[in-house]
Amino acid sequence: MKVPVIWLNDYVDISDISVEELAEKLVGIGFEVEEIIYTGNGIENVVVGKILDIKKHADANKLQVCMVDVGKEITTIVTGADNISVGDLIPVALDGAKLPGGKTIKASFLRGVMSYGMMCSGSELGIDDSVIDGAEVNGILILPKDFTIGTDIKQALGLDEYILDIGVTANRSDCQSVYGIAREVGAVLGRKVKAPALKYKTVPTNLKIPSVYVEDSELCPRYTARLITDVNIEPSPKWMQDRLRLAGHHPINNIVDITNYVLTEIGQPLHAFDLRQIDEEIRVRKAFEGEKIIALDEKEYELDPSMLVIADKSKPLAIAGVMGGQHSGIATDTTSVLLEAAKFARGNIRGTSRALGLRSDSSARYEHGVDWNSIDAGRERALALISQLKAGKITDTASQCEVKAPEEKIIVTSAKQISDLLGIEIKPMTISKILKALGFDVEQKENKKLVVTVPLYREDIDNFTDLTEEVIRYYGYDNITSTFLSSAKPTVGGLSRRQKNINELKSLLCANGLYEIATYAFINEKQHDLLKLESNSPLRKAIPILNPLSAEYGVMRTQLAGSMLKTISGNTNRKNSNLAFFEIAKTFIARDLPLIELPDENETLCIGLAGGEHEFYELKDIVSQILASADIDFNLEYGKRQYLHPGISAEIFSKSENIGYFGKIHPDIAENFCVPENVYICEINLETFIDAVPVNKQYKPLPKYPAVNRDLAFVVEDKYSIGELIREIKSAGGALCSDVTLFDIYRGTQITEGYKSVAFSLKIQPEEKTLTDEEIQTLVNGIVENLKSKFDAQLRLS
Amino acid sequence: MRVGEYVGCVKALNEAHQCEFGWYHVFNVPKSFYSSGFIFGGYMEEQLNKLVSDCTAQIASAANLKELGDIKVRVLGKSGELTALLRNLKDLPSEQRPEAGKHMNIARAALEEKFAEKFAALREEEVASRLASEKIDITIDKPKRDIGCLHPLSSVRNRIIDFFVSLGFIVTDSPEIETDYYNFEALNTPADHPARDVQDTFYITDHILLRSQTSTGQIRTMEKVKPPIKMISPGRVYRSDDIDATHSPMFHQIEGLVVDKNITMCDLKGILDMFAQYFFGEQCKTRFRPSYFPFTEPSVEVDATCNHCHGSGCRVCKGTGWIEILGAGMVNRNVLTGCGIDPDEYTGFAFGMGLDRITNIIHKTDMRAVFENDIRFLKQFK
Repeated sequence: MKVPVIWLNDYVDISDISVEELAEKLVGIGFEVEEIIYTGNGIENVVVGKILDIKKHADANKLQVCMVDVGKEITTIVTGADNISVGDLIPVALDGAKLPGGKTIKASFLRGVMSYGMMCSGSELGIDDSVIDGAEVNGILILPKDFTIGTDIKQALGLDEYILDIGVTANRSDCQSVYGIAREVGAVLGRKVKAPALKYKTVPTNLKIPSVYVEDSELCPRYTARLITDVNIEPSPKWMQDRLRLAGHHPINNIVDITNYVLTEIGQPLHAFDLRQIDEEIRVRKAFEGEKIIALDEKEYELDPSMLVIADKSKPLAIAGVMGGQHSGIATDTTSVLLEAAKFARGNIRGTSRALGLRSDSSARYEHGVDWNSIDAGRERALALISQLKAGKITDTASQCEVKAPEEKIIVTSAKQISDLLGIEIKPMTISKILKALGFDVEQKENKKLVVTVPLYREDIDNFTDLTEEVIRYYGYDNITSTFLSSAKPTVGGLSRRQKNINELKSLLCANGLYEIATYAFINEKQHDLLKLESNSPLRKAIPILNPLSAEYGVMRTQLAGSMLKTISGNTNRKNSNLAFFEIAKTFIARDLPLIELPDENETLCIGLAGGEHEFYELKDIVSQILASADIDFNLEYGKRQYLHPGISAEIFSKSENIGYFGKIHPDIAENFCVPENVYICEINLETFIDAVPVNKQYKPLPKYPAVNRDLAFVVEDKYSIGELIREIKSAGGALCSDVTLFDIYRGTQITEGYKSVAFSLKIQPEEKTLTDEEIQTLVNGIVENLKSKFDAQLRLS
Repeated sequence: MRVGEYVGCVKALNEAHQCEFGWYHVFNVPKSFYSSGFIFGGYMEEQLNKLVSDCTAQIASAANLKELGDIKVRVLGKSGELTALLRNLKDLPSEQRPEAGKHMNIARAALEEKFAEKFAALREEEVASRLASEKIDITIDKPKRDIGCLHPLSSVRNRIIDFFVSLGFIVTDSPEIETDYYNFEALNTPADHPARDVQDTFYITDHILLRSQTSTGQIRTMEKVKPPIKMISPGRVYRSDDIDATHSPMFHQIEGLVVDKNITMCDLKGILDMFAQYFFGEQCKTRFRPSYFPFTEPSVEVDATCNHCHGSGCRVCKGTGWIEILGAGMVNRNVLTGCGIDPDEYTGFAFGMGLDRITNIIHKTDMRAVFENDIRFLKQFK
């Protein structure tokens, strides 16, 4: 919220305090000052001047030589501008003047004529039409005739002002106004806060004021209206326009400006209706289904019964608390005005504003909450200003509809209760003094109780903890000392099993040369097409977000592969090669769409290898290590996913459950994601094993007898896999055959086409005794026989 | 000399030594003979002297260990020259034998010593020359076996977790897709509450949303665990912010909660002071500024001494000397009551910090780089 310091000074005297000091005080009591804005930034030695004479420059067609009265003297200025005439008031940058952006003006010769300064445009002064009309004109800024010659331009344009941009927290609806901030400043400085001027005279009238009917007092507990006659619509005075501009409003006319002025000053939204457009009565009711209204922003809105409207007998006049209707608004020929000051339920205003996508200063205030008394304060202040500005005559007729006024809350607490929560002792007298300065009434009872009466504008105060906050923010948080849980019981802390397992898994992945990445959990639904997911794939059941930032972040991901491929793609575009990444994140699996209950969130691992020397077997090795570290037995089948190479990918099964896959991506996918073809990817659902408590490994005595190594080579048909062969070697070798490793595959000359030579190294490890040569030979023969009978494998003799 | 040859030499020398032990044993001469003054036969003595002087000269001129080994075998070996002389002792008259034997032993010992000296000298020489010949160019880099690393968000997260775990905090997880109840209502933020506007939330249905704060973890923990409670709950959170240097629609928070008897705001200050010192250095101080969160009362924003300028004021802290690190406060009574904890018996504090923000502060990263995952960025955090 923008608070002009000059306006604040109306209510609490801060003329002797620097704006920085003021900002610091505000921060200290919980009002963040986001920015201190100085409107005259960078402007020096620029004054209002009057053009007395204009002559053509003798030596230059496009230049004119002007005599300008700048107050103290009459000076010569050469200009190239052509939108000026004799008698115009203009801003003149004098010799030595400074303009925003660091530009300095010096007297200098222009084609032989000395120019003692420069006439300025709005943009040269760094201002736009919000400061003064004409500032955006391409040419010299022509000032209003009533400006005084010689005045500093910052003063003339209200550019010598400081504005505090204050962040008001959501609980302090009472501080959404200049007056509300003044109340806090008064308390922190210990200075008196002046009451707003509320004086005005009323006149009798023959006009009938429309009766007010409120159909839903929950949504509108209070509605008041006053009738103003003999209205004369005209621009508001300069001082009011200046202030409105400083606070970020654009001046319109006296009546509308007064409502905006009061909104800023008191925080009470007001609305002015043209009496001519009201058909008999004011009815605050829910909108009809499909009812339409054109609002002051000239757009048509379709309403529904969740929204509240201010209507008359025949039509809606305004969307309650949000925006008035164009039809019933103030026009240049308006003569009688019905002024509304009301309270609407904040949740309803919020809902309406969101549903319509229509926000206004009024709806913003109502959403935070407007208190009971501010209705009167705001309306009375507006009437006083109408009277002061002679904008109309205030009649003695009022109309209103309201429920019973709320009562002031009473909280019984004690200094001990407040001190106990803070951990430092604060005396009852101090507490009482602070609360009283903030407008609370405090009674100290003999039993050490404090009976605190809460003013109505403090709707945020409910119990002693709220009072504790009031006390400490004025007493000062610097007085809070550091203690270390002196009263707390010791507790056993630590990571959960799952968290520890994930950390260990991450260490294993890093040790394998993989870098962890962090990607967004929401993806573009189009990713499913890029991955060529089948139309009935469960992965397409991604949970959509109702209000995503954009389609790019539209649905919650059901797989991590797409994000991994995007990451690889981004790196590839930047010519990064040899990529090895992993991510552990959640996939979101809905049981039903739209969601009825919370979805499953599956902790999932994704690995991506790209470029460099990466290959399938490297990824297989990593996967095997991961599963071995979790004591998972698994078997593989050729992959069936649309986005993987069918011959270079595998599905991972553990106890017949498909827990993941790995392999090379399909060439089409490489194209879709703009990545090279040699990209390998893996996804494993960690949920099946990530909570497992690791078992204590049991020591097995080391073998006492020497192991024997034997190498065997076979010629078999190509169709048999190495896995099958090893399985049968082990099956024939039994427990003695402790390890079988492949060490060569050969195809080519000497080997019949369609066949391959495969060589294995066997480790035979006896447990009971040293084996004799005959025993070893028997074992080997058994293996050779088994392979011969199962695969027609021929032993290759070296 | 190749390694194999070298080993061979050493072996040969050792064998020669072994022979010697047996030999000594046989010629263990009784002490009385030494003093007898008997001189053994002239010819044999001559032979012995020649052998000793020849051998001494040969030892001196041996060029390497192999040569030295050969000499030793030739002179002192089983069928060596000195051994042969000894055998001839039996030809002496019996009364001369002891004296002759004594002389031979002395001669042998002298030669042994010479061999040993030369052996040591040659060995040292040969090791030195071998090592010199094996010298490599240490400035060469061979292709490395790469080791990856954690994302900076993970490593900072782990450091924060370590701190709180050391103080007895448990670490809890909670869902990222949440109900309105856990994200707002149970946190004292009912439907019409203005605070709901402050954080623009992503909705999935009317009452299911992407959690906008890890404070949901407070409620989920308090529903299951009763005081004393010390917990932190880290995780991803989501808010409708466009990505820029300091914002992202997905980011990370760590929530903290302590509930027990007589917990005070001074305890909150104590823990956070310690945390700031642990994280930003011992000189770091914290400052509380009043603020507002619906689920704490009183609520504060917590600043730490700027770790760039150490409080003197710089561009990073906008000249204030302080940087905002987290929000905190005393747990709101309504929140405790809603979780079945009696607020008259127990009090507590809660805090929530932005992991991304802290990562950005200590690593000088920015939000875009953090989620871009450029491998050159990631490799900087090894």
